[in-house]
Amino acid sequence: MLEIKPIINTLMRSKAGALLLILQIAITLAIVSNALSIVSSRIDKLTEDTGYDEQGIIAFTVLTYNRNIDRAKQFKEDMITLKEIDGVKEAMTVSSIPLSSSGGSWTVSNHPDELQGKRVDSGYIQANHRIVNAFGLTISEGRDFEPQDETEGSQDQFPSVTIVSRAVANKLFGEGKGLNEFIYSGDNMMKIVGIVETMKSQWPDSKMGDNVVLIPIERSSMYQRVIVKAEPSKRAQVIKLIEPTLLENERQRVIMGVKGLDTAKAQTYQRDTLMIRMLMALIVFLAIITALGIFGLTHFNISKRTKQIGTRRALGARKSAIFRYFIVENTLVTLFGVAVGSVAAIYMGGQLMALYSIPALDWSIVLYTSLVMLVMSVLSVYQPARRAANISPSIATRSI
Amino acid sequence: MLHMQDISKLYQTEMVQTQALREFNLTVNEGEFIAVTGPSGSGKTTFLNIAGLLEPYSAGQYMLDGVDVGKLNDNQRSDLRNQKIGFIFQGFNLIPDLNLFENIEVPLRYRGIKSKERKRRVEQCLEQVGLAGRAKHLPQQLSGGQQQRVAIARALAGEPRFLLADEPTGNLDSLMARQVMTLLEELNRTGTTIVMVTHDAELARRTPRNIQIVDGQVADFTLYQGTQMPRVDAQKPVRV
Amino acid sequence: MLVHYLDLAWRNIKLTPLISCLMVVAIGIGIGVTMTSLSVYHMMSSDPIPQKSSQLHAVQLQTMDEGQTWNTSDDVPTQLTYQDAKFLMENSPLTHRVAMMKSGAAVHLDSPDSVPFIEDVRITGRSFFSMFDLSFLHGGAWSEMQSEQAAPVAVIGEALAQRLFQRTDVLGESIYLDERKYEVIGVTAAWQPAIKFYDVNNGPFQRAEQLFIPFSHIEAYELHSWGNTNSWKNEEIRGREQFLQSEMVWLQFWVQIDSENALKNYQQFLLDYMAQQQKLGRFNRKQLAYNIKPVNEWLEYNHVIDPDNKILVGLSFMFLAVCLANILGMLLAKFLKRAPDAGVRRALGASKKQIFFQHLVEVALLGLLGCLVGILLAQVGLVGIRETMSVYVGIAKMDWTMLLLSPIIAISACLLAGLFPAWVVCKTSPATHLKVQ
Repeated sequence: MLEIKPIINTLMRSKAGALLLILQIAITLAIVSNALSIVSSRIDKLTEDTGYDEQGIIAFTVLTYNRNIDRAKQFKEDMITLKEIDGVKEAMTVSSIPLSSSGGSWTVSNHPDELQGKRVDSGYIQANHRIVNAFGLTISEGRDFEPQDETEGSQDQFPSVTIVSRAVANKLFGEGKGLNEFIYSGDNMMKIVGIVETMKSQWPDSKMGDNVVLIPIERSSMYQRVIVKAEPSKRAQVIKLIEPTLLENERQRVIMGVKGLDTAKAQTYQRDTLMIRMLMALIVFLAIITALGIFGLTHFNISKRTKQIGTRRALGARKSAIFRYFIVENTLVTLFGVAVGSVAAIYMGGQLMALYSIPALDWSIVLYTSLVMLVMSVLSVYQPARRAANISPSIATRSI
Repeated sequence: MLHMQDISKLYQTEMVQTQALREFNLTVNEGEFIAVTGPSGSGKTTFLNIAGLLEPYSAGQYMLDGVDVGKLNDNQRSDLRNQKIGFIFQGFNLIPDLNLFENIEVPLRYRGIKSKERKRRVEQCLEQVGLAGRAKHLPQQLSGGQQQRVAIARALAGEPRFLLADEPTGNLDSLMARQVMTLLEELNRTGTTIVMVTHDAELARRTPRNIQIVDGQVADFTLYQGTQMPRVDAQKPVRV
Repeated sequence: MLVHYLDLAWRNIKLTPLISCLMVVAIGIGIGVTMTSLSVYHMMSSDPIPQKSSQLHAVQLQTMDEGQTWNTSDDVPTQLTYQDAKFLMENSPLTHRVAMMKSGAAVHLDSPDSVPFIEDVRITGRSFFSMFDLSFLHGGAWSEMQSEQAAPVAVIGEALAQRLFQRTDVLGESIYLDERKYEVIGVTAAWQPAIKFYDVNNGPFQRAEQLFIPFSHIEAYELHSWGNTNSWKNEEIRGREQFLQSEMVWLQFWVQIDSENALKNYQQFLLDYMAQQQKLGRFNRKQLAYNIKPVNEWLEYNHVIDPDNKILVGLSFMFLAVCLANILGMLLAKFLKRAPDAGVRRALGASKKQIFFQHLVEVALLGLLGCLVGILLAQVGLVGIRETMSVYVGIAKMDWTMLLLSPIIAISACLLAGLFPAWVVCKTSPATHLKVQ
C-alpha cells in the first residue's frame, strides 16, 4: 500500500517545498550529467592510446649556443655516451617530440600538384632509421625503415621513403589503402613503405591529431630535440643523469626540459586536466548541496508534520507505514525532478554542443546520473524518515 | 471490553520521576458510555494514552477486548488501534494537507481496505455527520464544529467497537458542543463503547457513568446516573 | 532601526546554529565555486592595458593567394612576412610602430662559474617600451643609430638583473646571449600584463619576456623565431636570404594610432604598399585585405577566452541557483518555525513592511557570512587552478573588482532567495499564531 494518490494530492497542496526540491534535483541532474559527459570525454582523450612508449621515453632539448661546435659529430658522441647509462636502450635526435604541442607540420598530397590531388595537414618527425623502435611504435602494414633509407641532413638530400600513420594513408588513398603509394610535398616525393595504426602527432588535440609522417633523415641543429628510451623502472634515475652527462661532454650548451613523454603529454593536456578537476569539484559539491537540501527539507517537513504523524500512528499506522510515506513522497518528488532534469540536461547538452563543440551528451549518462540521484535522495531521506517513524502516537493527544 | 488492573505509569526525565498513574484500576463494559473527569495534571491524558494504546505502561495489566495489550509489539498495537479503537481528539487533528474524504479514508487505508469499499464507507460516514457533499473541502475551510464532525466521521469510518474521545467539545462553543454530544450518544445507542475524557462537568453529567481521576488513581467510582454530580471544575483550565 | 534588525538577525542566527551554519556553508560553496570560475573569466576577458588599449593596434596583411585559408574568421594571417614587417617598420607615417618576434637564448656571464640558462627574448623596435608602457629603472631604449648598426645592446627586466647580478643598477654590464656579448643599456621595472596580448602565438597567458634586443639583430645574427612560423606556399628555401624573402609569416606588428585621421592615413599607406607590391607579383587577390585591430578586438579575434572557462562560468551560475533553491528551502523552514514570534511582533504593532525588512536583513547577514566562506573557498580553488595549469599563474587570481563583487553577488542572491520566505512570514496574520497557544 503506497498511498501514492494522497501523497501527490498533498504535494500539490503545499507546492513550495516540493517545487524547490524538484528545481534543485532538475538543475543538479542537468549540471551533473553534462559535467560527467564532458569529464568522460576528456578522460577518454587523456587515456587514448597514443602508440608511443610513454613510460619509457625521455625527451629534452639541447640548445648548442656555440656555433663553432661541429654539432653532427657532437651529437653522435652524445648518443653513444647516453646509451652507456644503465637502463638506456636507445637515444637519438628527432626533429620534434610527439604529444608535446611543439614541432613541424606540413601539407602532403597524393598528387605531385597538390591542388589537383587530396591534401592533408600532418605533423612530421625526422629522425634516423631506428625511430619506429625507439618510439615503441608497431608497424601494422609494410616494413620498418632500413639503414639505407636514411639520409643525413647535411647532405641536403631528401629521403625517398616514409612511414605514415594510418590516418594519413586513409585520408589520401582511402580506407585501408596507401601502402607503396607515393606522397608529395613541395618538390619532395616519398614512397609509403610502412603504416602505423596508432601514432599521435605533436598536437594530439588538434585536427591533425592522428596525422604523422616519419621521415628517415638525421639532423643536428642548434636547437635540437633528443629522445632517450629507457627501461621504465630505471627511467627516473636516467632522467637525473642526462644533463650532467651531456654537459660533461660539452659545456657550451643548455639542456632544457628533460622529462618523460608521459609528463610532456600531461602538459599538453593541462587544460583538460584542469577541466576534469574543476568539473569533478563541481559535481562533488553539488552532490553534497543537493543531499543536504533533500535532508533539510524532509527534516523540516517532518517537524512541521509531527502532529499529523502522531495522529496517523494513533489511527493505526505502523511505523513502517510512516517510514514508507516519507520515502515514497521523496521518491515521487525526485522522480519528477529527474524527469524535468533529464529534459533540461538534454537541452543543455544540445546547447553546449552547438556553442562550444562539446561532444554530444549520451542519454545513458543521464540515466545513470538519474539512478544515482534517486539512490542518493533515498539515502538522504532515510534518517529523517526513521525519525518520523519513531514519533510517538501519544503526540496526537497533546494539545500543543 | 476494557479492563485495567494495577496500571502504573512512570515518566522519567533526567531530573524528576513523575508517577502519572498509580495502581490504576478500571473496567469498562461493552456498550458503556463513561466520562472521565479530573483536575489538570491528574493523569487523565495518561489514562487516555494508555487506554488508546498510544503509550506503553510501566506496570500492571491491560486487557482490551480480551487481548493482553502488554504482550503486543508495536505493529500489533498499531493494528489493534486501527481495528478496534476510534479516536476523537481535542484539537480535531485533521491532516491539513488532506481533504475531508482523504482524512476520513486514512484509517481505512491503514487497514488495507479496497478503494471501492473505502469510498462507500467514507461517504456513509460523511452523511452520518451531515457533511455529505463537502468531501473535497480542506479542513481549514470548515468551522470548528464541522471539523470535529469530520474527526468523528474519521473515528467512525473504521467501525470501531471502542471510541475514545479527548475533550471532544473542548474547542467548540456550547451549541456545537451539544450537537457533538448528541452524535456521540447516538453512537453509543448503536452499541459503540465510548470513553470520553472531559473537564466539562455538565457534559459529564449527560453520560451514564462518570469516573474521576485524582492523583493518578480513580478517586470516585460511583454511578451518578440521573443524579447531580458534585461540581468539579467547570472552568476550562489554561494550558500552556 | 537597521542596527536593531542586525542585532535581532544575529541573535536569530545564533538561536538556530545548525541550520544557520548549513545555510552559510551552502552560500559559501556556491559563491566559492562561482567566484573561482568567474575570477579566471574576468582576468581572461579583462583589458590588459586599459590606458592604451584603444590606441594600440595589431596590423595584419592578407598576403595569401585567393582561396588559401587561415584559422581566423576572415582567413587573414595573424603574423607578417619578414619583408613586409621590415618595410612597415622602416617606412611608416607613424612614429610608434614596432615589428617583433619572440626568440630565446642561453643567457650567461663570461665567467666559468656562470651556468647558462634559457631565457625568452623579445626582438623588437625601440618604440616597444613607450608603446606598451614599460618604465625604466635605469637607462633607456636603444637609439635609432644603435638599431641601424645592430649594436649588441640589450634592455633587461629588473628580475633578470637581480638574477644575474643581484642588483638592478647594471648599466654597462656585459651579458652573453648564446655566444654573443651584449651591453646592458636599460633596466625596466617588472612588467607583466595579465594577457600577453602583443603576441598570442604561444598561448595568450605566457609570461612576458624580460630581455629585449633590437629588431635589426634578426638579420645581423641570424636569429630564429621561438614562436610560430607558418607558410602557405611551396617555396624553394635554401639559405637565410631566401628565408627572409619568403612568404612565411612569423612576425607581429603593432602600431599606436592616436587619431581618426592618423588611422585613415595609415589605412591608405597600407593599401598603397600592397598595390605597389602587387606589381611585383605579390598580394595576388582581387580585393586587397588588411586588418588594423585595437587590443580588445584583437583578443576577441584570437579567441583568447578558453571555451572551457565559459562553460565553467555557466555551470557555476547554475550551481549557485541550486544553492539558492537550497537556501530558500531552509529559510522557509526557519522562518515558518519562527512565525509565532513574528505574530507576536505584529500584535505588538510591527507593520508587515517592518517584519519583511527584519527578515531580509537576517538573510543579507547570512549572505555576507556565506560570502566570507566563499572567498576563502575561491582562494583554495584558484590555488588549485594555478597548481594544475602553470600558465594560469597570472590569471587565476582574484582582483579587487572580484573581491568586491563577491559580497554583492552573495547578498543579492540571498535576498532573492529570501524574498519568498520573508513574504510568507510577514503575510501571516498576527492572530493565527497567537490563538494556537
